[in-house]
Amino acid sequence: MNVAIPKTKAEQALTEAFAAAAPKLPGSAAVTAARAKAIGEFGAIGLPHRRIEEWKYTDLRVQLKDIGATAVDDATAVSADDLRAALGALANVDAHRIVFVNGSHRSQLSALDGAKGLDVQPLAAALKSVPEKIADGLMRATGPKSDATVALNTAFVSDGAIVRVADGAELTKPLMVVFLSAGTTSRLTSVRNIISAGEGSTATIIEVHASLKSAATGGQVNALSEVTAGKGAALTHVKIAASPNGAVHLANWNVTLGADAMYKGFQYTSGQSLVRNQTHAVYAGEGGKFDLSGAYLARGTEHIDTTLVVDHAVPHCESRELFKGVLDDRGRGVFQGKIIVQPDAQKTDGKQMAQALMLSPDAEFDSKPELEIYADDVVCGHGTTTAELDADLLFYCKSRGIPESEARTLLIESFIGEALDKIEHEELRAALSSYANDWLGGR
Amino acid sequence: MLEIKNLHVKLEDEDKVILKGLSLKVPKGEVHAIMGPNGSGKSTLAYVLAGRDGYEVTEGDILWNGESILEMEPDERAAKGVFLAFQYPMEIPGVAGLTFLRTAVNAVRKKRGQAELTTPGFMKFVKEQAAKLNIDVEMLKRPVNVGFSGGEKKRSEILQMAMLEPTLCVLDETDSGLDIDALKVVSDGVNALRSPDRATLVITHYQRLLNHIVPDKVHVLADGRIQKTGGKELALELEKSGYAEFTGKAA
Repeated sequence: MNVAIPKTKAEQALTEAFAAAAPKLPGSAAVTAARAKAIGEFGAIGLPHRRIEEWKYTDLRVQLKDIGATAVDDATAVSADDLRAALGALANVDAHRIVFVNGSHRSQLSALDGAKGLDVQPLAAALKSVPEKIADGLMRATGPKSDATVALNTAFVSDGAIVRVADGAELTKPLMVVFLSAGTTSRLTSVRNIISAGEGSTATIIEVHASLKSAATGGQVNALSEVTAGKGAALTHVKIAASPNGAVHLANWNVTLGADAMYKGFQYTSGQSLVRNQTHAVYAGEGGKFDLSGAYLARGTEHIDTTLVVDHAVPHCESRELFKGVLDDRGRGVFQGKIIVQPDAQKTDGKQMAQALMLSPDAEFDSKPELEIYADDVVCGHGTTTAELDADLLFYCKSRGIPESEARTLLIESFIGEALDKIEHEELRAALSSYANDWLGGR
Repeated sequence: MLEIKNLHVKLEDEDKVILKGLSLKVPKGEVHAIMGPNGSGKSTLAYVLAGRDGYEVTEGDILWNGESILEMEPDERAAKGVFLAFQYPMEIPGVAGLTFLRTAVNAVRKKRGQAELTTPGFMKFVKEQAAKLNIDVEMLKRPVNVGFSGGEKKRSEILQMAMLEPTLCVLDETDSGLDIDALKVVSDGVNALRSPDRATLVITHYQRLLNHIVPDKVHVLADGRIQKTGGKELALELEKSGYAEFTGKAA
C-alpha cells in the first residue's frame, strides 16, 4: 500500500526555491542535469525523519522550518574590516585565504599570493568553464547514499573552493576557506569544497563559517567537502562553525585516505541553532590514519549532531575520534559513531570517545557508538560519558578563593581543553580557546 | 584567633551525627594539632572549616577573628584567609597549574583589596615560592596535579598555601602517603609559614608529622568531641598508648 506522505512546509519551499533559482545557478549543461537529478532525488526521499535510523535523533522534517532565500550571485557589501570583525580571534591566524560571502567568491577579500604548491580556485568558475566530464565529477559526492543533505547540496551548490596541494608540497601557512553570511535577508547557502592533498604533501585547511554581526538571524548553510589525502599525505582539516546568528548548519565531509596518509580533522561548533555534521571516511590503501575530533557548545534549544562512519575496508589502518560537548539550558547533543571493520581489514586499530558535560538538568545527550566488526584480529574500542561539573572539583577551586562562576568556567574550559589540545597549530588552538571563552562569557 | 564553639555537625543526606559539641581555640601565632582515631570526625572538621557542601551544622559556631564564617562560601572564606590543604589533592585535567595558581591568587587578592599580580610579578612570586618547596616551575605548566606522585601533590598543596598567604592554615592528614624525604620538604614548607599572624591547625592520625611540625598544643578528638588537650608531649603519649582510652570512653 502506498501512502503519500504530505510534504512539509520546508520540503515544499526547498523544491520551489530550486525551481526559482535553477536558471541562475552556475554550471554547464552537465552540471544543470546533475542539479535536476539531485532535486528529483530529494523530491523522492524528502527530509529525513526519526524513523530513518541514521536520523533518529535529528528529525529534519520536524526541526527544519524556514529555509531562507536562495543565495546566488550575491553582492552584499562586505569590507575587509567586516571580515576581520566576523573572524574575531581567527583573524590572528596567519593564513592564505579564500573568502565567500553568502555563497559567492569575493576575490578582493581573498589573499592567495605566493602559496607555493597550493592551487585554489573558486568552484563556480570551474563549473562554468571546465569540460563537461570534469564538471560532472565535481558534482559527484562519495558519502552516504540517498541522503537529503547531500542531494540538496548538489542541487543548490553555488560556489566553494577547489583546493589542490601539489605532490610533495609542504605548506608553511594554513589555507583558510571562509564562508561569511552577511546582509539582512536570511539565506539558504550551499557550498562545496573539493580538497586534494597530493602524495607526500603536508597541509592545513581551515574551513570557517562565520557571519557579520549585522547579518540576519537564522538561515541555512549546507556545506559539503570532498577530501582526498594522497599516499603518504598529512592533511589537517579544521572546521569552525560559529556564526553568532543561530543558523542551521548541515554538513558533509567525505574523506578518502590513500596508503599511509594521515588525516586529522577537527570540528568546532557554537552559536548554531541546528547542526548536522556528517563525516564518512574510507581507506584506499593500507597504513592510513584517520583522526577526527571536535568540541561543541550548545545552549537555548540548540541541537548539535555529530554523525560519522569510518569504513575500514583495508588492513593496518587506524582511526581515532574524540568529541566533547558542553550542553546548557535545553541544548541537545547527538553523537553517532559507526566504525565498520570489513573482513579483510585485519590489524585495524579503532578508538572512539564521546563525552558530554551537562550544565543544566534539561540538557540532553544521545550517544550511539557502533562497532561493526567482521575481521578477527583487530583492536577496537569506544566509550561515552555524560556528566555534570564535578562537585568536588568545584569545591577544590572555590576553597582556593576562585568564585563559583569563575570556577565553573575554569572546569568547562578544562573539559573542552582536552579536545582542543588535538589541534597542533598553536595560533589556531588559541583562537578556538578564545571562541569557547567568549561562549562561556555569554553564560 | 580561631574559635570553634560547641560545634555539632551531621551529614546532610543521612542521619549521621559526626561532631557532637566540639570546642576549640587556636590563637594567632600558634600551631595546634588535632589527633584522633579513624572515624573520629577529623576530616569532617577540616571540610566544615573550609565550607564544603554535604554537612549540616545543627548547633554551635565557627568564628575566625571574631566573625562567624559558617554562612560564607568557600571562596569567601579563602579571601578571609582560610586555607585547607587536602588529604587527597584533586587533579584538574586541562588546566595548567600556573593558570590555576594565578586565577586563585588574583581572585583572593582582588577580594582582599590588593592589586592583582601582573604576569611578570606572578612569575617572580611563583618561582620564589616553588624553589623553597623543591618544585620545578616546568611541572606547573602541566595540568593541576595530573600525573603527580603523592609527594608532588602535597608539595603542590603547600605551594598553593604559600601563594595564597592565608592566616588560618588547616592541614588535613598532610603526612599521608609521604615518604620521609617528602615529609621533611612539606614540613619545612609549613614551618616557613609559621608567623605571629597565622594560626595553624594540623590534623593527623600519627605522631610522626609532629616531630617536624612541632605543635604548641595537641588536642585529642574522639567521638566528635575534644577529649583531652595537652602540650606536644601528649602526642608522644598517644603514640605509645594509642586511642583506646578515648574510644573506650566514647563507647
